[in-house]
Amino acid sequence: MDKKKQKHEEKRGQAKRSILINMIIVPFIPFILAIGVSFYFFTTALENNTTSSLKRIVGDHRDMIESFLMERKSDLELITKIYSFKEINSNKAIDTIFKNLKSRTGAFIDLGLFDSHGIHLKYSGQYQLRGKDYKNELWFKEVMQNGYYVSDIFLGYRNVPHFVIAVRQGGAEKTWILRATIDTLFFDKLVSQVRIGRTGESYILNKKGVAQTGRRSGGIYIMDKDSEFSDFPSLGNNIQTFINSDSERNKYLYATAWLKNREWLLVVRQEKKDAYKSLYSALYISLIIMVIGGAVIIVMAVYMTERILKRIQQLGQEKESLGNQLIRAAQLAEIGEMAAGFAHEINNPLQIIKSEHALIESLLEDMSGNIDAEKKEDVDEIEDSLDQIKLQVNRCSEITHAILKFGRENEIKEQLLNPRHVIPEIIHMIEKKAMVNGIEIIIHISEDSPEFKGDPSQFQQVMLNLFNNAMDALSEQHGSSGGILKIESYKNNEGFLVIKITDNGAGISPENIEKIFSPFFTTKPVGKGTGLGLSVCYGIIESFGGTMEVTSEQNVATTFVISLPAIN
Amino acid sequence: MAKMRIMLVDDEERYLQTTKKLIEKKGFEVLTAQSGKDALEKLKLQNVHVVILDVKMPGMDGNETLKAIRTLYPLVEVIMLTGHATLSSAIDGLKSGAYDFLMKPADIEIIIEKALEAFEKRQRLEEKIRIAQAKKYMRSPREILKDDEE
Repeated sequence: MDKKKQKHEEKRGQAKRSILINMIIVPFIPFILAIGVSFYFFTTALENNTTSSLKRIVGDHRDMIESFLMERKSDLELITKIYSFKEINSNKAIDTIFKNLKSRTGAFIDLGLFDSHGIHLKYSGQYQLRGKDYKNELWFKEVMQNGYYVSDIFLGYRNVPHFVIAVRQGGAEKTWILRATIDTLFFDKLVSQVRIGRTGESYILNKKGVAQTGRRSGGIYIMDKDSEFSDFPSLGNNIQTFINSDSERNKYLYATAWLKNREWLLVVRQEKKDAYKSLYSALYISLIIMVIGGAVIIVMAVYMTERILKRIQQLGQEKESLGNQLIRAAQLAEIGEMAAGFAHEINNPLQIIKSEHALIESLLEDMSGNIDAEKKEDVDEIEDSLDQIKLQVNRCSEITHAILKFGRENEIKEQLLNPRHVIPEIIHMIEKKAMVNGIEIIIHISEDSPEFKGDPSQFQQVMLNLFNNAMDALSEQHGSSGGILKIESYKNNEGFLVIKITDNGAGISPENIEKIFSPFFTTKPVGKGTGLGLSVCYGIIESFGGTMEVTSEQNVATTFVISLPAIN
Repeated sequence: MAKMRIMLVDDEERYLQTTKKLIEKKGFEVLTAQSGKDALEKLKLQNVHVVILDVKMPGMDGNETLKAIRTLYPLVEVIMLTGHATLSSAIDGLKSGAYDFLMKPADIEIIIEKALEAFEKRQRLEEKIRIAQAKKYMRSPREILKDDEE
């Protein structure tokens, strides 16, 4: 029994697991797919968008800086075209020209005139540079060679970082050079004016990685070497984007573009966290949705699984009990038929035995007159023996008659019975016996107890059988006082008449309760019961179209419940 | 009053013998027959008052025999002896004119008691017939010659 239970439990556990897994996985697959796919497309779109906007910014900025440099160059070229060397070299003329230039743009901080030997002839500005020899300076060599030069930032004689734009004019010995210094602050502002998000910034490095403008976020100042430059991937001519991390492991999104014939590199960068801010918030939202959705799915799955299992179990039980009822009914019908035939066949030999017995008895009676005293004892014993034969034959015939009743061959007169009249009448028949045994009878027959159809004597037989069983159980348990026999009847929700007979007697053990309606099953001592009573009752109630059930708790109570279809 | 003559009809030979002895001991005359056919043969030859008839017999069964007896010898009373399974056929028997039925196994005293009741009924019936006939004879004495053999 325990093993069976265990196996059943195991099976239930398996079913539960597989239902639960299915209930979780099946909704999870589309759920994860939907979130995953939308998240993927969203992030790629966002990434593309971010990179392309960064590219656009770096491109625009490059063009802007290039045109700034070109304009400054043309400023100087304009001067060299308007004025001759003599004019510029004349007393104080350069101060006037520089004043005019400054009124055009604030980008210049000084202006100088050089001869072909690199001697600073005239100077207008805040430093004392006149007369200095620039013959060996890089910018001088370059401008002499190319006619035009924009330098990197350098310290020079003034020992302050700056860069210059120089243009050459004239030829051979008459060559002269006009040079202007660009305001570093002005240029710095111009370059760093890019604003993207919270951390977006731009700056210029030369091709060796030395900063030409400062970085807004700090770390690199003018003329510092950018330590991260060496980590940059090899850069082509076009605008490039890449991701690089600094010494503190913060990741940055970079976009770069060459300026000035690959002399300078314009760098625009933004912290990745900042650039992908909306991406991260999307990620968090997705995660929250996933967690909540997952939790909802799991909770629903657990709840549904419990419900499904409960329903399955309920159906299983219903099926089992229905199956048991069907089997029992079929068994009873079969046994009934078989037993009836069998009983009938037994009756014939019983009849002969009875006749033989009667004959012996009467012969013995005839003889007893002329028997001497010695043999009188034997004769008495024979008579005793004969009495036993008679008794036992009667017992047999009682059994066969009970079986034949079980076979339901009696003529049945169905009629409408009113429980409110019939039940009290039957109870009346047992009142005396109950009183003698000290049994209290409680009757609750509700007014709405509906009428039912059945044979009155059969119904009486059922009731008396149940009452007598109950009273036997009560005497066994309580002796001559304390027994309670309760008889109830009412109309249940399905419109059936329910009759309940409850006693607080010895009860029925669980192993017996399964067999209680089986023919020939009895717990009474040999000769005291045929074991047919309850099976006959069961058959009768069934023939009325009703059902009969029993529940029992040992030493507490036993209840027989009869349900009969009501006739309105 | 005449002595009651009983005929036992049953397929069990031993039962017939024993019961015959028992009833004879009580002082009644007993005939036995092992089948319905046998019974009808014997009824032709001898006057019987009460027939105790087993319902279930091979060949001609109790009910057929009963019908034949009631048709051929309407004055003969029949008591059916039945096992329970054939109770419905016993009811048929009562409808076809059996006096009563008994359930097997029946005590011999009860069989005799029932037989006597039936015999008395028959006696009363014969008495009535005699009285009626006497009245008829008084009206027309010639009738006596007609029904002499009766």
